[in-house]
Amino acid sequence: MTTVSVAAAIREGRLEGRLWLYSTYACNLACTYCLTESAPGVPRRALGADRMVDLAHQAAGLGFTELGVTGGEPFLDPSLPQVLARLGEVLPTLVLTNATLFTPGRVAALRPLADLPVKVQVSLDSSFPDRNDHARGPGNFRKVVDAIPRLVALGIGVRVATTLDGEDDPDDQARLCELHRSLGVGDEDHVVRPVVARGRAGARGRGIRAGTSELPPELTVTIDGAFWSPFGPTVTDGVLATDLLVTRTIDPLCIPAEALVRLIEARPAGSDARTGIR
Amino acid sequence: MEARVPLIDDGQVPPLLARHFEGGDPGVIVRALASVPELAEVAIPFIGTVLGPGSLPAVPKEVAVLRTSALLDCRYCIDSRTVAATEMGLDRALVQAALATPAGERLPGLDDAMAAVVAWIDAVAVGTGPVPDRTFAAVAAVLAAHQIVELTVVVGTTVLLNRFCTSLALPTSAETRAALAQQGFSS
Repeated sequence: MTTVSVAAAIREGRLEGRLWLYSTYACNLACTYCLTESAPGVPRRALGADRMVDLAHQAAGLGFTELGVTGGEPFLDPSLPQVLARLGEVLPTLVLTNATLFTPGRVAALRPLADLPVKVQVSLDSSFPDRNDHARGPGNFRKVVDAIPRLVALGIGVRVATTLDGEDDPDDQARLCELHRSLGVGDEDHVVRPVVARGRAGARGRGIRAGTSELPPELTVTIDGAFWSPFGPTVTDGVLATDLLVTRTIDPLCIPAEALVRLIEARPAGSDARTGIR
Repeated sequence: MEARVPLIDDGQVPPLLARHFEGGDPGVIVRALASVPELAEVAIPFIGTVLGPGSLPAVPKEVAVLRTSALLDCRYCIDSRTVAATEMGLDRALVQAALATPAGERLPGLDDAMAAVVAWIDAVAVGTGPVPDRTFAAVAAVLAAHQIVELTVVVGTTVLLNRFCTSLALPTSAETRAALAQQGFSS
């Protein structure tokens, strides 16, 4: 297996072009559907800035076209804006955040990202503050709707991600769309996905099943190993799930990347159906 | 005693290893190795090849595994290989001798050819430094060079498995304990 096959798999659409980096497992929130049981006090178990940048360079060499940074809450690391700038100089980068840590100083530190292909994806689950905060924590809604316009004003690309826990409420969704538009985020930058029955949601019996048949292959690197998808490195009752673990080796990146391509190529024809879980 | 590492259950099988779990319980060695899929992916077929049919006749190969496990005092391997050796029809007295005779001593009841093979097994399994020329000369008189290569790999791989199972406290299964009891051995 050569690196050419990874590039070809991405070029031909069999492997997603984005490499996900789990920057940390720690979070300042404890969302009810969190995949990784992240919460305040959870050990950070971080990849580290230099390793993330090194992996980004390796990803570019292998043919990956984008980077995603997630967690936990990546912005718990005060140096993340500088790390994102380094990543953005390698490949277009999307960072996922709960946007609750954006003090004026931290927002100012993000200013250089406006000139780089770096986007920020903010979680916002409902147009109703109490409904949003029920899943994501007290005061979350207020902080998010405060942070988004400040990011937009800096010229930073912002996406809004909505995770639906339970029945879809069309009225809420319509209101939410009005809200994100009013905050400066267009419809093309609003993603909606269901809760996945893994991690904290799975332990509560919530969400939809998500295995290799449901999830598109998106190489995801954590301190624990490399996974099939960013929905892979889940934690339940403190135990890491291994059903979507590709390899423990994350460096050199070609090892998990080539293993994932082998898994994709070994799938029976027609098994690449997707349910749109992103 | 519980294993010191997770034994991957059927619902948590990494995708690279799915085929090794499709035929039923793969055993605790595979379940332990499965925590490192890329390693298990090559280790499982390697172990299967080394311990499976080869150029070495079945009896010396099974004696090599059983004897090495006894010398290394690996409870899991002694239990599982005693059952396997008995089921393949290995002489009961030979099984007991392989388990009980101290390293370097001639097993009772062996002919000279088999004694030379066991002397090689003992020297590879628990010896340090070079194996004496006379031990090699004796085994070379009864096995071809390629068979000595295979025998040495079998012993070495068994040492690896012995230390793996013992260090990580992999438990003997209830089925193996039941089979041992039925065969008149104790775990």
